[in-house]
Amino acid sequence: MKAKITAALLVFSFLSCKEPYIPPNGSLEKPLLVVEANLEPAGTTSITLSRTTNLNDPAVIRTENNATVTVEGKDNTLFTLSSRGNGTYAGNLNLALNNEYRLRIKNAGKEYLSDWVKTIFNPPLDSISWKEEADGIHISVNTNDPTNTTKYFRWDYNETWEIRSRYFSELIYVNGALRQRVLPAEDVSVCWKYSPSTEIFLANSARLQSGIISQVPIAFIPRGDEKLFVRYSIVTKQYAMEKDAYNFFEIMKKNTEDIGSFFGPLPSELKGNVHCVTNPDEPVIGFVTSSSVTQKRIFINSSEVSNWSSYFYCEEVLVRNHPDSITQAVNLGWIPIHYSLFPDNKYIFTTPYCGDCISRGGANVRPAYW
Amino acid sequence: MNKIRACLIFVFLFRTVVLQAQVNERISDSFVNIPLEEFFNRLEKKISYKFYYNAKELKTLYLSLEVKDLTLPHVLEEAFKATDLHFAIDKQSKSVYITSKFPIETELPAGFFKRIDSLALQKNQLNDSVAEFDVESKKVSKAIAGKLYEIGSKTNQAGRNAILTGYVRNAKTGEPLVNASVFTDNQHGTITDQYGHYSLTLPAGNHTLNIQHIGMKDTKMQLVVYSEGKLDIDVDEQVQLLREVIVSSNKISNIKNVQMGMERLAIANIKNIPSVFGEADVLRVITSLPGVKTVGEASTGFNVRGGSADQNLILFNDATIYNPSHFFGLFSAFNPEVIKDIELYKSSIPANYGGRLSSVLDITSREGNKKNLTGSAGIGVVTSRVHLEGPIIKDKTSFIFGARTTYANWLLNLLPDAYKDSKASFQDIDFSLSHQIDSNNSLYFSGYFSRDKFSLESDTTYGYSNRNLNIKWRHNFTNKFRGILIVGYDQYLYDVSSIQNKVNAFKLGFDIGQFNMKANFDYYINTQHALNFGISAIRYTLHPGYLDPYSKESAVRPDDVEAEQGLESGLFFTHRYTPSAKLSFSTGIRYSMFNFLGPQEVSQYVPGIPVTDANRIGTINYDKGEFIKTYHGPEIRFSVRYAFTTTFSIKAGLNTMRQYVHLLSNTTIIAPTDIWKLSDPNIKPQYGEQASLGFYKNLKSNTIETSVEVYYKRIKDFLDYKPGASLLLNHNIETEVINTKGKAYGIELLIKKPVGKLNGWISYTYSRILLRAYDSTQGVTVNKGNFYPANYDKPHDVTLTGNFRVNHRFSISLNTTYSTGRPITLPIASYYYAGSQRVLYSDRNAHRIPDYFRMDFSMNIEGNHKLTHITHNSWTIGVYNLLGRKNPYSVYFISENGLVKGYKVSIFGSIIPFINFNIRF
Repeated sequence: MKAKITAALLVFSFLSCKEPYIPPNGSLEKPLLVVEANLEPAGTTSITLSRTTNLNDPAVIRTENNATVTVEGKDNTLFTLSSRGNGTYAGNLNLALNNEYRLRIKNAGKEYLSDWVKTIFNPPLDSISWKEEADGIHISVNTNDPTNTTKYFRWDYNETWEIRSRYFSELIYVNGALRQRVLPAEDVSVCWKYSPSTEIFLANSARLQSGIISQVPIAFIPRGDEKLFVRYSIVTKQYAMEKDAYNFFEIMKKNTEDIGSFFGPLPSELKGNVHCVTNPDEPVIGFVTSSSVTQKRIFINSSEVSNWSSYFYCEEVLVRNHPDSITQAVNLGWIPIHYSLFPDNKYIFTTPYCGDCISRGGANVRPAYW
Repeated sequence: MNKIRACLIFVFLFRTVVLQAQVNERISDSFVNIPLEEFFNRLEKKISYKFYYNAKELKTLYLSLEVKDLTLPHVLEEAFKATDLHFAIDKQSKSVYITSKFPIETELPAGFFKRIDSLALQKNQLNDSVAEFDVESKKVSKAIAGKLYEIGSKTNQAGRNAILTGYVRNAKTGEPLVNASVFTDNQHGTITDQYGHYSLTLPAGNHTLNIQHIGMKDTKMQLVVYSEGKLDIDVDEQVQLLREVIVSSNKISNIKNVQMGMERLAIANIKNIPSVFGEADVLRVITSLPGVKTVGEASTGFNVRGGSADQNLILFNDATIYNPSHFFGLFSAFNPEVIKDIELYKSSIPANYGGRLSSVLDITSREGNKKNLTGSAGIGVVTSRVHLEGPIIKDKTSFIFGARTTYANWLLNLLPDAYKDSKASFQDIDFSLSHQIDSNNSLYFSGYFSRDKFSLESDTTYGYSNRNLNIKWRHNFTNKFRGILIVGYDQYLYDVSSIQNKVNAFKLGFDIGQFNMKANFDYYINTQHALNFGISAIRYTLHPGYLDPYSKESAVRPDDVEAEQGLESGLFFTHRYTPSAKLSFSTGIRYSMFNFLGPQEVSQYVPGIPVTDANRIGTINYDKGEFIKTYHGPEIRFSVRYAFTTTFSIKAGLNTMRQYVHLLSNTTIIAPTDIWKLSDPNIKPQYGEQASLGFYKNLKSNTIETSVEVYYKRIKDFLDYKPGASLLLNHNIETEVINTKGKAYGIELLIKKPVGKLNGWISYTYSRILLRAYDSTQGVTVNKGNFYPANYDKPHDVTLTGNFRVNHRFSISLNTTYSTGRPITLPIASYYYAGSQRVLYSDRNAHRIPDYFRMDFSMNIEGNHKLTHITHNSWTIGVYNLLGRKNPYSVYFISENGLVKGYKVSIFGSIIPFINFNIRF
């Protein structure tokens, strides 16, 4: 028997590679109107109007503040939303469940109108659950419509977490000199940080026998993150919608969050339910929905998770009690914490990260729910 | 025996006559296809010799000869070479006697008695050098090159033309040689079919028959053809010997074939081309041919002349392969050790193929070695393969078996972090049996199995599998009439499962199965007329998708999209007509029919308005086997060739095609979760028509082939998708698709040097494929109903593939590819929504990713060639992506932490060196 043995050796550095790409500037003639609106049946409804920007422009929201915004009902009811600045328009609506409403926007000689949307039932958000795994904390949302009438949901959330400085700073440098901090207004030892969600979270029960939607992952805290150094809280808002609105959010999510995996879908045309009445060819971005907003908040204490190292390295320097030395230390970015008589009457300075929680992006006002 | 003895005496005499006769007059002349009588007359005028012969006997014989400065005996020797004519020169009477069969002795040679020994020696040599073949006896001996063969019976000289048929086989393994060129000159030539069988029409008379095949020795045989007969030819393998390379100037050329737009590559050629992991890859080589493109490296499909990936019929030993690749397209699903060759039809698709719009890729595996048990095994870093072949009954029955597997998990760990927990594996198995019942009946059995399994960045496991089985019976009714019957079953399936979250644990799957039957007949009437005809039928059963809960706790609602049944049948007939050596027609027609069969619940929609859920007016239930919808129509396959000279021809073709199955995919490439769909009352079959024109010119004694082909193609009812279409488990897929019209056109230039120290090809293609969602009643238009480029529209494409043999032990190969970047839909603006900056996309496919350019290099180093050595080593060392260029595979934009970021991804973003060591013993 004749045999052939082939031994193939292969050496290569790495397979796939991802690089930043800057596209050629888009050829959009005029900025388009962007409408983000959920009409809440009761309480305060707040919507946002903005404009598209060029891709290579700095990432800022170009808000639209001079529009007239009204909500019309099929039953001839009429509500007005007033501009609150920053592109926000708010007002109190009183909408009937299963009735249909639409949004009318007048701006710069143009008129925009949404399709009729039905106000639908939003069941209470069932629970927010979390699970500790090796890589960190996975937070999921669960909901349940016992009537199984509402099948399509979207969520967003806001996170809050407490941070603490390593050292209690008693002193503050004001007008070229050190003085005692006024407490609690100038306290920088305990702060709270906030972060809104930036992704679109969707789930539906259309394929499920019951209305139970279980374990939709929303947030993740990587192990060792400062969010769980002390205490963490997340509030999740739930929006109910119909299938067409869900499709809109799903396409938006696919177009802007899911593209680029190996089997990622191609970007598709995003078609909202707001149209320009005066110029039908002008696209408008946005889908107006109408449901109440239900929400839930949970807290996680660092004691509830295991092995969450909150250690960070802190440096201290001793500064001579002399104005020049103090100014120099401040100019070098150190912050004062304490005056020490022993060993030889010097000030102790440390890095802002260790002594000033505001410098870490926090706010020193305790939130009401904390 | 008489004859042999006669010859022996003649040879002996001839030698002595030459020695004795002092014929010193030198002759220079050129004789072009003249009767022998005239030849003798002309000689008589030049020299003082008189010729004596039986005019009646020589009446039908013609001669072409060019002599320069030769003496009479040499001229006659040349003229009668390989005939049974003999001559004797009597210098005393200045006479030349021409006889058939028996020579005349003019005198007793000197030293006659001393030469007995050498005569005996000659006798031994000559004993097997002449053989006679008689069609009546049906006994065909294996022919050996370099000797004289007489074909047919001499008494039967009715026609001037005779048909010669037989098999061409590898002398060592007994394996038939497919696509071997069998020819006498440019006018009379053919190629063997996939069973190694040939049929060649020759005028009666003397011929030098040439047999050429890649990897085999060029073989020449001397023939005397009287009437039709059989001749089986055994050809020796080309051994890498350290001798002069013979460049044959007589290649059967692209000029002659009436078929246009066809490419054929043997595995030997494919193995010369550098590939990414050093393992020969047939699909990757296909994409270097003119008119064939691919959207990127990690893509399964290829696009032929503006066709989508599902418009290619991929056949492996006549079995339909639905997913021809492994591992996201990085490997083709075919084991290079068992493949014999590939054929790609991209323009004139023969009428016996149907069911796809763009092309037919026919991959044939080798038949097992009929003499000895042999095999090979390969161990690679990513894949391992084994193959075994040998006789079951010597010279009659043989098998070939091949298998491959992979351990690519470590490779995935090199991918970006998101894919870190990914796993992937694949296997494929080929098995073929061939059995020769007798010289007129052969049976072939072939099976293929492939399986892929992987999970990417999630707990979800994907898997897919091809399963194919078929049996072929080949029967020769007569020398001129033969048939093949194929019966088989092909299946493709995929499954996806997720088990981590018990409440959502699911299993999702799809499968398509087809029973198929084909009867194909070839009838060679005469040199001018040949027919091919037959019938084919495919019975489809397709499960568009099912979703099942994986465990009892799972709340997943079982969902089963109703199975689809269909019957696709075809009746085909091709007439090849060659009125003259210059002109040739191939006129084919295929009548295809598709029946969508019950049981099925078919949705009805309000006619004339968009097909949407809202416009559904009801459903109709059909019973099992009921004909729900029938589509049918003729398909024309016409081509014509006119050869102005033996090195220049023009060909034109007209093809229409129908396709009844569709791949539903809204990703750029064939993804493992793409499903197939049969045409039904709401989804029409695709229809395509192509007109093409080609110019073929061979240069430098046919060693350089050049061609220019242009084509224009129209496609109707090609499926595209509504924005955000959800194709999975969709019970009403018709509400998510839109029909598009397409047009494709292009020009393909090719310069090819198939043989020689330097061989390879340069091709340039300009091509466009544009689609249009024209029907406003579909509710959705793309780009306002204007033409838009398809995802795989890449106008410019240049490929250079070259191999240079520095010496017999060292050769280098270079492969260079440039193409325009494929179209993408780019973001044109950004906006804020749902807490994040997001991007707004342009019209569909309005922009392109950067151009693609890649160069690969490899060296083949052969070890010692001494035959006495037990092992033979060779090394292949190469570099894939020599320039390390980061060719973007795709460009995409995502919102990261509330900001829009653009990325381009390259699959092979760096230089990839590889090394292969082969040892044979």
